[in-house]
Amino acid sequence: MSGQLLSANHAAAIGAALAGRANRTGRGFVSGVYPITPSTECMELLCNQEIEKGHVVRVESEHSAMAVCIGGAAGGARTFTTSSSNGLAFMAENVVAAALLRLPVVMVAANRTLGPPWNIWADHGDTLMLRDTGWIQMYCADNQEVLDTVLCAFRLAEDRRILLPALVCQEAFVLSHTMARTHVPTQDEVDRFLPPLDLPGRLVGTARIVGGLTVPQTTEVHRAQHHQAMGRFFEVYREVQDAFEAVFGRRPADPVVPYRADDADVLVVSMGTIGSTVERAVDVAREKGIRLGALRVRTFRPFPAELLAAAFRGRPRIAVIDRNVSLGFGGVLWGEARGLADPGAVVQGYMIGIGGGDVRPEHVLALAEDVASRQAAGAPVLMEAGA
Amino acid sequence: MGVTETGRASIPEEIPLPLEVRVHGRGGQGGVTCAKLIATIYAEQGLHVQTFGDYGSERTGAPIRAFARVDTVPIRNHNKVYRPHHLVVLDAALLGDDVLDGAEPGAVVLLNTARGLEPFADRHGRFRFAAVDATAIARRHGIGTSAVVIINTTLAGAYARAMGLPWEAVERAFAVQGLARDLPAAREAWDAVVSRAADEGEAAPVRRAVPAPNVIGIAEHVEDLPNPLRTGSWRTQMPLYLSHAAPCNAGCPAGNDVVGFVQALATGGVEAAARVLFRTQPLPSVCGRVCPAPCMSACNRGAYDGAVHIRGLERWIGDHVDAEGVRPPRAANPRRVAVVGSGPAGLGAAFALASLGHDVEIFEGESCLGGVLRTGIPAYRLPEEVLDRDIGRILALGVTARTGTFLDAAAIADLAATRDAVIVAAGLQRLTGLEAPGVLLPGVLQGIRFLDDVKRGAAPRLAGHVVVAGGGNTAVDCARTALRLGAASVTIAYRRGRKEMPAIGPEVDEAVAEGVKLALHRQPVRVLGEGRVQSLELAEVELGEPDASGRRRPVVTGRTAAIPCDALLLALGQAADLSIVPALPNLFTAGDMATGDGTVTHALGSGRRAAARVLASLDGEPDPVLPRPDLDSLVAPAHVRFSHFHVEPPHAERHRIGAHALGFDEVNRGLDGPSEASRCFSCGACTHCDTCMLYCPEGVIHRVGQGYRVDEAFCKGCGMCVAECPRRAMAMVQEASAR
Ligand code: SF4
Ligand code: SF4
Ligand code: SF4
Repeated sequence: MSGQLLSANHAAAIGAALAGRANRTGRGFVSGVYPITPSTECMELLCNQEIEKGHVVRVESEHSAMAVCIGGAAGGARTFTTSSSNGLAFMAENVVAAALLRLPVVMVAANRTLGPPWNIWADHGDTLMLRDTGWIQMYCADNQEVLDTVLCAFRLAEDRRILLPALVCQEAFVLSHTMARTHVPTQDEVDRFLPPLDLPGRLVGTARIVGGLTVPQTTEVHRAQHHQAMGRFFEVYREVQDAFEAVFGRRPADPVVPYRADDADVLVVSMGTIGSTVERAVDVAREKGIRLGALRVRTFRPFPAELLAAAFRGRPRIAVIDRNVSLGFGGVLWGEARGLADPGAVVQGYMIGIGGGDVRPEHVLALAEDVASRQAAGAPVLMEAGA
Repeated sequence: MGVTETGRASIPEEIPLPLEVRVHGRGGQGGVTCAKLIATIYAEQGLHVQTFGDYGSERTGAPIRAFARVDTVPIRNHNKVYRPHHLVVLDAALLGDDVLDGAEPGAVVLLNTARGLEPFADRHGRFRFAAVDATAIARRHGIGTSAVVIINTTLAGAYARAMGLPWEAVERAFAVQGLARDLPAAREAWDAVVSRAADEGEAAPVRRAVPAPNVIGIAEHVEDLPNPLRTGSWRTQMPLYLSHAAPCNAGCPAGNDVVGFVQALATGGVEAAARVLFRTQPLPSVCGRVCPAPCMSACNRGAYDGAVHIRGLERWIGDHVDAEGVRPPRAANPRRVAVVGSGPAGLGAAFALASLGHDVEIFEGESCLGGVLRTGIPAYRLPEEVLDRDIGRILALGVTARTGTFLDAAAIADLAATRDAVIVAAGLQRLTGLEAPGVLLPGVLQGIRFLDDVKRGAAPRLAGHVVVAGGGNTAVDCARTALRLGAASVTIAYRRGRKEMPAIGPEVDEAVAEGVKLALHRQPVRVLGEGRVQSLELAEVELGEPDASGRRRPVVTGRTAAIPCDALLLALGQAADLSIVPALPNLFTAGDMATGDGTVTHALGSGRRAAARVLASLDGEPDPVLPRPDLDSLVAPAHVRFSHFHVEPPHAERHRIGAHALGFDEVNRGLDGPSEASRCFSCGACTHCDTCMLYCPEGVIHRVGQGYRVDEAFCKGCGMCVAECPRRAMAMVQEASAR
């Protein structure tokens, strides 16, 4: 059996380095990095990689790390960084800038609870805080998916029809520090999958400033273009899946991953590794004759509204699990998904695993039972997983 | 990845799949690596594995956990391990309900303990127990530090044996994880582990759930589209790239382009710097040693972290440049000019004229060229070969020299009749004496003659206590030379204070460091002795009303004291002897004869100006006015954006101290490299640093060729570029329309 025993952090770094080398016949690779638990291991490994035409620049803050990527991308380099939690919060201004400048930066976030008080464990609140910054967002459920999604993210972000930065999310420790067998592709394979970046209008000889003053109408046009680029994602992603499968022999998961969902009386929707926990709960329930099904939302931005609406069709009860709280509202995923179900269907929100609590099948079974017993949806429920 | 039947077959039947392993230890013991090794052993048997730590903010010693899972299919379970089949306990003291939680009867517990299985004989009977003294083994193998023994690798060996896994798998796993050097310890543990079977039938005790602790709420503790907006229409002022005068340049009496040669040194090296310097400076190695450096007093960096050591850099260039002087092309209308005197003013004039291709002859009364540079400056400050090298470069321009004849007024007039012009730069011949009784006693000498005698090798031996009267460079040179000639002690008597001494500051410091004493506010009023000077009466001097120059006039008091004195050297100043200069229309004076400023650099500037005057008058033109920058165009410290520059104190020259040990060897070895040049702000001169371009909020400054272009359609006239320029190489000017 092939595959190396790797943490998802290392898998991400190796993916980035492979992608970086694949641009050696183009304008090379640039990465600005700043450490923060739990993404530090990713940047550390990247710093130790030999990358032809590659520059991994260690800077003094996350804000500057993204600035390095912006500069590198504007110059036509393939760019990558990684961060987490409050680091992302500090980086936010430049996260917005990268997106609005339509630069195909790829970032891996280790989802970690925002503080203070400091909590280093998993929570999706940090990347969801960046929901509206104009980045593609994809959430992973295992180590292999992290590496594969990093490679796909470059190809998606750099596609002329899209040209947007992409955020690959993996939960703190549950993925970032968990070691599992991971297939590491060869450079030759990655070269075949990822052509050199050919950015339109890149800065080469003459330094100039991008993003000067604008007027309302220009911004309207920019936003419309940005939004349309998001809209082309699903079509392009299918091509990327095909290309990936052709080169690597395995198919990256769909934007929404169903599991025994077709005939489900109760559908449980979630993101990240909780998705695999839900699948285990589904198996347990099915053994007892309960028709539970699952949907894992892998692509969160652009939001797969049509795919979800199709999957919700005919499903009377839907539980949405959020590992985040939009304070004063409820779960972010629930908020976006609840309007997509059939009229009269019950879509109940559950927030669980906040601050890194270990969400287990029994929790999923309990909330499935809860939603099954409801005649109408109520206020979102905050459940404690403890631990 | 399919089911791996060979994987299943390669491990003992008793090991259930999926398998869950939980490791308990303390921070620092390496529990996470232990779990990783265990997982790797199974991975090496061809199985799917997953391993992770339960990360926390724990410090060394706090309980930690780590997990491993093994299966024949990819593992989708991302939860922690709650129902372990195998428990590995790195510290027996941890063994309690928490550790055993969730383990079913029949589970295996591997314990690190020095006490073997005995203590557990009648406890935990429902588990299979294995024990090994991993701590003792790891310590024997020197794994960890003297403070903390790291047992993870040792214990992994015991685990494999206790679970019936093959030793080869252990070897491979250690190799994969880069831990092969710990294998001997693992092997010892493999051999030493003991185990006990589980008691069939003993049931697990029921554990009562512990309620979660109450949590106190926080509040209870305290690519752009083209821009359609033509911002250029907002503008009333426009930025301009405009050089301003650097204060060092303005402060150099010789007229050197200081910022030019320093920047050339920083960016282009010695030869490039020399090309700039040689436009005005014929004596870089001399000035680089003896100039009082008014440029440095004017340097803007002085207001930040210390003036740029310009003099030291000038010396570096003079001493390291390879270029010999090259004969310039002859002037279109060559003039024939005689220069009388070969001190710095004469050399400066000759150099200026010869550089333009005119014919120059120098007349020097002494046998060697150099004037006061040769006779009046001690070798420990200015070695002869340094002077010779600078002069050699001047002669290489085609200048001829006649030495050994002093010219009187008549001879000079003869010269004037046969040349287009004569420049007299004979320096200061009249020496100021001391008006005090007893000055004619043997042992009282003029300092400048004394220095000259020393240079000629005709110096008197000195002994005892030598007193020097005066406060200028000659006084300090006399004092330090006296020490070198054997004086037991030397005192400089000066009528004003230390700050008022005209000598170069560091020279005074060095003299003091060598042992010279300063008698300040003192004036010799009487020389005493029988047959020769034996003692000296010094009067106290007070400072009275300011004189015309603004300096307070010294007033000699009646309070006197006598000190022993074996020789008195007079260094009270010199004056020009103008009787040798006949009044003729083609005769000009230069240097101290003309200005009396008394420094090499002033003399050089004066020589250069005299040369210009000569050429202008021969062409029938009015006296050239050499431009002096007006104050407004000077770069002041307030124009320099200090925050752009790192604080970096000046590089010091390498001074050696010790008059007796050194004798007349050069005291100052100069800078140890040219890197001081990079401290220069480049006041008023653009360095193409891109700061303006980067700060323009509109992004409308672009590089073109060697400079920049501002896009007028979009420049809104905010002035940010000018404000951010670290060195005043730009200015805002009113738009014509706004004027
Ligand atoms: S910093 Fe440089 S340019 Fe400015 S005054 Fe000093 S030597 Fe001259
Ligand atoms: S900063 Fe830019 S917009 Fe402002 S004055 Fe300078 S060139 Fe013009
Ligand atoms: S900021 Fe730099 S590049 Fe711009 S004018 Fe000043 S010195 Fe020149």
